Amino acid sequence: MLASFRKQDKKDEESATSGNPYKNLEKASVLQEVGALRPHFAVVPLFFYFKARTFNDSPVNPRKCTQILTKILYMINQQETGEQLGQTEATETFFAMTKLFQSKDMMLRRMVYLSIKDMASVANDVIIVTSSLTKDMTGKEDSHRGPAIRALCKITDASLMQSVERYMKQAIVDKLPSVSSAALTSSTHLMRQGPEVVKRWVNEVQEAVNHDNIMVQYHALGLLYQIRRADKHAIRKLILKFSKAGLRSPYAYCFLIRIASNLLNEEGEGTDSPMYEFIDSCLRHKNEMVIYEAASTIVSLKCVTPKELCSAVNVLQLFISSPKPVLRYAAVRTLNKVAIQYPAAVTACNVDLETLITDSNRSIATLAITTLLKTGNEAGVDRLMKQISSFMSEISDQFKTVVVDAIKSLCQKFPRKHSTLMSFLANMLREEGGYDYKKAIVNTIITIVEENPEAKEAGLAHLCEFIEDCEHTSLATRILHLLGREGPRTTTPAKYIRYIYNRVILENAPVRAAAVSALAKFGAASDDLLPNVLVLLHRTMLDQDDEVRDRATFFYHLLQQNDKALNSAYILNSMNVSLSSLERLLQRYTMEPTQKPFDVRQVPVETVHVEPARVDIGISRPTEQVPSRQDTYTEQLSSIPEFAHLGPIFKTSPPVDLTESEVEYVVRCIKHVFSHYIVFQFDINNTLNDQLLERVSVQMESADGFEIVHYTPCQVIKCNDMGTTYTLVKLPDDPTGVTGTLTCTMKYTVKDCDPATGVPDDEEGYADEFVLEDVEVTVCDHMQKVLKPNWNASWEEIGSENELEDTYALSMPTLEDAVKKIIQYMGMQPCERSDKIVEGRSSHTLYLAGVYRGGHDILVRAKMALSENIAMQLTVRSTDQSAVQVVASAVD
Amino acid sequence: MGLLDSFICWLGLKRKEVNVIVIGLDNSGKSTLLNYLRPVEAQTHDIVPTVGFNTENFRCKGLSFSAFDMSGQSRYRPLWENYYRKTHGIIFVVDSSDRPRIVVAKDELYQLLTHQDIRTRNIPILFFANKMDLRDSLSDVGVSSSLSLDEIENKSWHICSSNALTGDGVQEGIEWLSSAIKASLEQAKR
Repeated sequence: MLASFRKQDKKDEESATSGNPYKNLEKASVLQEVGALRPHFAVVPLFFYFKARTFNDSPVNPRKCTQILTKILYMINQQETGEQLGQTEATETFFAMTKLFQSKDMMLRRMVYLSIKDMASVANDVIIVTSSLTKDMTGKEDSHRGPAIRALCKITDASLMQSVERYMKQAIVDKLPSVSSAALTSSTHLMRQGPEVVKRWVNEVQEAVNHDNIMVQYHALGLLYQIRRADKHAIRKLILKFSKAGLRSPYAYCFLIRIASNLLNEEGEGTDSPMYEFIDSCLRHKNEMVIYEAASTIVSLKCVTPKELCSAVNVLQLFISSPKPVLRYAAVRTLNKVAIQYPAAVTACNVDLETLITDSNRSIATLAITTLLKTGNEAGVDRLMKQISSFMSEISDQFKTVVVDAIKSLCQKFPRKHSTLMSFLANMLREEGGYDYKKAIVNTIITIVEENPEAKEAGLAHLCEFIEDCEHTSLATRILHLLGREGPRTTTPAKYIRYIYNRVILENAPVRAAAVSALAKFGAASDDLLPNVLVLLHRTMLDQDDEVRDRATFFYHLLQQNDKALNSAYILNSMNVSLSSLERLLQRYTMEPTQKPFDVRQVPVETVHVEPARVDIGISRPTEQVPSRQDTYTEQLSSIPEFAHLGPIFKTSPPVDLTESEVEYVVRCIKHVFSHYIVFQFDINNTLNDQLLERVSVQMESADGFEIVHYTPCQVIKCNDMGTTYTLVKLPDDPTGVTGTLTCTMKYTVKDCDPATGVPDDEEGYADEFVLEDVEVTVCDHMQKVLKPNWNASWEEIGSENELEDTYALSMPTLEDAVKKIIQYMGMQPCERSDKIVEGRSSHTLYLAGVYRGGHDILVRAKMALSENIAMQLTVRSTDQSAVQVVASAVD
Repeated sequence: MGLLDSFICWLGLKRKEVNVIVIGLDNSGKSTLLNYLRPVEAQTHDIVPTVGFNTENFRCKGLSFSAFDMSGQSRYRPLWENYYRKTHGIIFVVDSSDRPRIVVAKDELYQLLTHQDIRTRNIPILFFANKMDLRDSLSDVGVSSSLSLDEIENKSWHICSSNALTGDGVQEGIEWLSSAIKASLEQAKR
């Protein structure tokens, strides 16, 4: 039975590599089947021990042994229940199992191969079966050969690869497709352990690409790509060769299309590239799978223009009216994706999409409707929404999420429709659904509330109702945080307090803590509500949870002070530090015995995350958490002794190219700003394969008072390699003159060397230099973006002590341009959504917030009015005098 | 084994299956020896060092043998003991021309004889003094005395010189093993 699961698993794997869009659908039903087996296998390892003795019987009883192996396999593959085989148990079972090699029973032998593969990672000394397996893979019994190869590759480590090499080479070019495929796929896995050895098999692999069997061809192409993948040029040749030679396998074609699109995207080539021509030609292939792959690749290419898009969309349009549900689904799903970025291109398909609304397959219908919602006009929205609600209860959570996402983009497109959409969302929120689905709805409502002031009150009311009966802690805390931020600014803040306080009484500790924080914000923002809030907080001070009690006590006493500045700093606006850095620095602080108090200004400021625009639809993959860029640079720089005394990095700028991209040495510059210094990091890429660079440094000069303190040269940059050199520059003493331009010249010693080996020809070499573009230090470099949720409170908190006010006339055509330019020059964060300008208005106020080098808060208010040109009144406030002047100078 | 099965066995229609393990130092000729026992059309000409073990099946005197051809390389020798427990007989192959390492073979033999799965059982042991065709090789008596086979108690053993390439002496040894295994099975039954 388990063997059949395995086969199914295999099938899943295979379909995953061949671009089947269903790859995740089968899983649940398979799992269910496994789950149904559970009662039969409630057994302890000891039982297996005992049973494993059956393997020693002679003659072997194949039926009995197969059953036992099935159970063992089941147990090894059962991760969650904890009934795991230990190492000694596994090893003993494994050795008992090896005795089954004497049996000739077909099923039992195949089961043994499976067990070897699964036990390879648990048991010791698995190499004992190496010879038995090599004998089987070269033997006469064809049905044993493929499984034996797969098992062999699983137990082979790098040291043993030499000994199996001969057999693998033979197997790759075997006439039998199953053997050849097994050898090719296994070799792909072996690439991870010993790429050097597998690379030696390239001739055999090339022979296998010409095999008649479509699977072998596909697998061989896959391995060939793995072998050559480091060499872009070779890959390019590979694609061109096979696009002309004409492969039989549609899978191989799909694979080629993927390689080609990767290449196009990585190299940033346009549609005139031969790679693109190849993909385009695949649109006229006779196999549907290849056509679809080509079309879906073209629409996701970076370089695509409406003209190319059109031909791909045409193909998909044909698929929509296909009798095969698979093709309809694939086409409509891709069109849905296209509609996000290029709604105009999909409009041509609207008539065909209309017919799909009533498709018996609900998934297709959902995607069709959401696509229409994206491309349609405002009038059609109501009709389509009605259509969706008629079958909302029949579709799965995943597709409901697709619908929610479509509604979200609709709200952004047609803000006036918010009442229809909001009530629809509220209905969905009341129905049953999983966490991801509910999260999507809540996210959508929050976005609407934040972007559309008219929808705010209604949205908040829906959310309040939702948290009355919400089982998801994280959603409840998010909503409470939102209520705390937005609630006090509504017309009747008092009505939210009841909802929030209910949470304090009824919910678990994390929600209670969030509710307490939200309450405090109401108290801080409104004097009328303050006495009531104080009473509520006082009651909460006896809570049984530490965190809730601490928060309540803290906020209660803070609010009693009735001090606007304190309220702003500790309640309405939070600390803007990078939490990971704060944790690290605090840990370091506790390790060192010191009398000095901890300085929060030492901690790098948390930069505001700009969320990338989402392009995928519905079925999204979890993205990996990357460590913050700043932290990795901190680690790198702190390892260099000259930079140890500089303190923490205040800001790291994005990399800037100082050369054209086609020159011999490609240089990028990254500026690391410290409190009194700047470290310029130059990443140099030596693209020549016959020259080696030594003692590379970048000399800088400046007329603006920057003082060059130290060069940290890079000792050697090999051919086709990267190297990094640093230049340390002290900022001018005058605190207001911190911007300027520095000229850069790269100085180095060149040694000619042999392109093949990379060994220099002569010892001496000669000195040379290379002029780079200038580096500019601007106001942006001294500024970190910081989001103040309550800008006004911070404005009052800083006060007018260091205020600077001036009026300017800007010669720009629109307010949008002016806003964009000011944000760009100052490098500050727009608050209160003031970067969005209401259409048709002739005046606007921009609120900016940031942190200046040294940890000084700085706020800017720019009142603009549009007449012939733009008149702007700029007011800057900061805790630091010089920061105000520097920022004001950015406008000149 | 049921009554019917014993009856069939007695008639000689179904062969009794027995397991033997083939051990000895590396390059002593274990795989070559078993290769000779294969049917002629299945024999190979290139024998490579065994990694782990191989199984071979052959018949002799009404017994069906499953032979576990173990690898003799020193790193795999500790794995032999995994196969001791259920074995009916042991074939120990010695390279009689490799005089310096005969003490190593003796050491391995001692380890085998004192192993808990072997010590108390009467398992027949067959020794092959292999490579007798080489000029420098010891005779079977010479091998026997250098391995101190006389000191083996409670086990029946036999030594014969052999040439695994041509098969000289192999059949004779296997025939002895078959009868010895039959005898020990009879004894165990009683």
